[in-house]
Amino acid sequence: MVSRTKLVKATVGSKVFDVCNVIFMLILLFLMVYPFWNQLVISLNDGIDAQRGGLYFWPREFTLNNYDYILKSKGLLSALGWSLARVIWGTFAQLVCTGFVAYITTVKFFSFHRKLRAMFMITMYVSGGMIPVYLWYQQIGLTETFAVYWLPGLIGAYNMMIIASYIEGLPEAVTESARIDGAREVTIFFRVVAPLCIPVFAALAIMTAVGHWNSWFDVMIYNPSGKFDTMQMLLRDILIESDKIKELMSDSMVGGDAAKSQASRISTQSMRAATTMLVTIPIVCVYPFFQKYFVKGISIGAVKG
Amino acid sequence: MQANPKVRKGKFRKRFKKEKELWFWSSLSIIWWVFFFLIPLYGILYAFFDYVPGRELTWDRFVGLENFAAFFEARDAWNIIRNTLVIGGLNITVGFIAPIILALLFDELKSMKLKRVTQTVSYLPYFVSWVVVASILNTCLGSEGVLNEVLIGLGILDEPILFLSEGEYFWTIITVTNIWKNVGWSTILYMSAIAGIDQELYEAGAVDGLGRWGMVRHITLPSILPTIVLLFILGIGNILNLGYEQNLLIGQPTTRAYWDIIDTYVYRYGIQMGRHSFAIAVGLMKSVIGLALVFATNRIAKKTMDMSIF
Repeated sequence: MVSRTKLVKATVGSKVFDVCNVIFMLILLFLMVYPFWNQLVISLNDGIDAQRGGLYFWPREFTLNNYDYILKSKGLLSALGWSLARVIWGTFAQLVCTGFVAYITTVKFFSFHRKLRAMFMITMYVSGGMIPVYLWYQQIGLTETFAVYWLPGLIGAYNMMIIASYIEGLPEAVTESARIDGAREVTIFFRVVAPLCIPVFAALAIMTAVGHWNSWFDVMIYNPSGKFDTMQMLLRDILIESDKIKELMSDSMVGGDAAKSQASRISTQSMRAATTMLVTIPIVCVYPFFQKYFVKGISIGAVKG
Repeated sequence: MQANPKVRKGKFRKRFKKEKELWFWSSLSIIWWVFFFLIPLYGILYAFFDYVPGRELTWDRFVGLENFAAFFEARDAWNIIRNTLVIGGLNITVGFIAPIILALLFDELKSMKLKRVTQTVSYLPYFVSWVVVASILNTCLGSEGVLNEVLIGLGILDEPILFLSEGEYFWTIITVTNIWKNVGWSTILYMSAIAGIDQELYEAGAVDGLGRWGMVRHITLPSILPTIVLLFILGIGNILNLGYEQNLLIGQPTTRAYWDIIDTYVYRYGIQMGRHSFAIAVGLMKSVIGLALVFATNRIAKKTMDMSIF
């Protein structure tokens, strides 16, 4: 393929534009990365010293105290546990159920398959809205449970569409031969179809997992007691409620005199920075490897939708 | 045409037998559908009643459009509408154009490596939660934050401003933040539209003496216009869904006059204050207006440009 830029004579204006464009991209890179870097620097700096300000690119008084303290807090460990439970179970359950329903909607001899798909498609465009959903969950006792994190998202229409279109792209002979052998549909899905769908499952798994990791609003409205608080909710509390840090520090398992001198060097800002980094780092590690799948996914969605 | 009813019945039974297993699994998913989609949908009806949790809905609690009217009589109603329209308007204009420009600039980059790196990095903010973004903003815009120190260092400010505590800055902050978080990700659809443009068009353009800007204006932009129109129509439909998450997290009690939008209002009245029917009515109004906007924009696009999403 001939590069398009070679088709055009390189005028002075064109060269100036190229230079400006590269500079713009470098500024953009900086703007996208620096806010995170700034948090990292603050989280790795002594808390009291950080309050003087002027921390830009490198910690002034390097310490791991902030992380040490927060990672030993019982509140944080419990939040981390719920977050992981939510990410792992929520993602797994959603993919199995969504995948299986997606498969059912592709079985052509099933007289209801088209209508079933339509039923779930509607859920993408219409919904009861925040309050009716909230009232219903309260009524059936779904509030103040772990189930409220994964049960309502068990069958995702958007993911279903993507999986179904992937299954439809597989040769029909695969399922037909299993059916002739007398295999049950559930067996056909788990033994034959699902293994062939691993690429699409992997992409959707990451997308769903990131969604679970990032959500906090449902935690706040459905589980207000704080028993099932996740990492995002903890960070939100630190951000909004000024007493949350003290609470976390008091239940930290750092003991003895060392703890007291350590605690005196910690500020709300540095603890918040450390928590922010703990919430962000998993995302930063995961997303570059999977963004190409996301890109594919969003393109499929766009074409289909 | 006139099949024997007995034969038809037998056929139906045979058919059902074959589909028995699929019906079983489908019925499970339908139960879930009823529980998590249909019943909450039915809850919209509460907007026309004076709903009290735990009590049966009866006709003597029917209030018609009273809950809807109550919104317009509320003291803060116009403030909420203003905030929703201003922030939504900024999103659909500045926030809508930004990714188009960025996609065009990406496309003009000669170094494939720089292009790939910038694209990938620009997706990062999209993947982090609003809580993280709010926390970062709080640090960077605080009194000892980077922004204040840079502005003081440059002599633009004499003393630090608490940007997040002063309402007049909120619209700017939320618009810039929304763009920062979404701009990279939003370029994807435009990039894939650009990638689909036939190279021969550019070759023909070069023969006709088009320069780089001419190619962008006469080839690239017209080629991605359908994508732009499609996303614009969808964006208009979502104009009232500004995202309550960021407003709840970045907004502070002192700046509420600037960030309180329909969604946060519904949350406050419906969940925090327990005025369920009223909040449902306000939310329903928002959805209906959103739907009407989609139809209207779609119609205009169809008439003027012969493009539509349905």
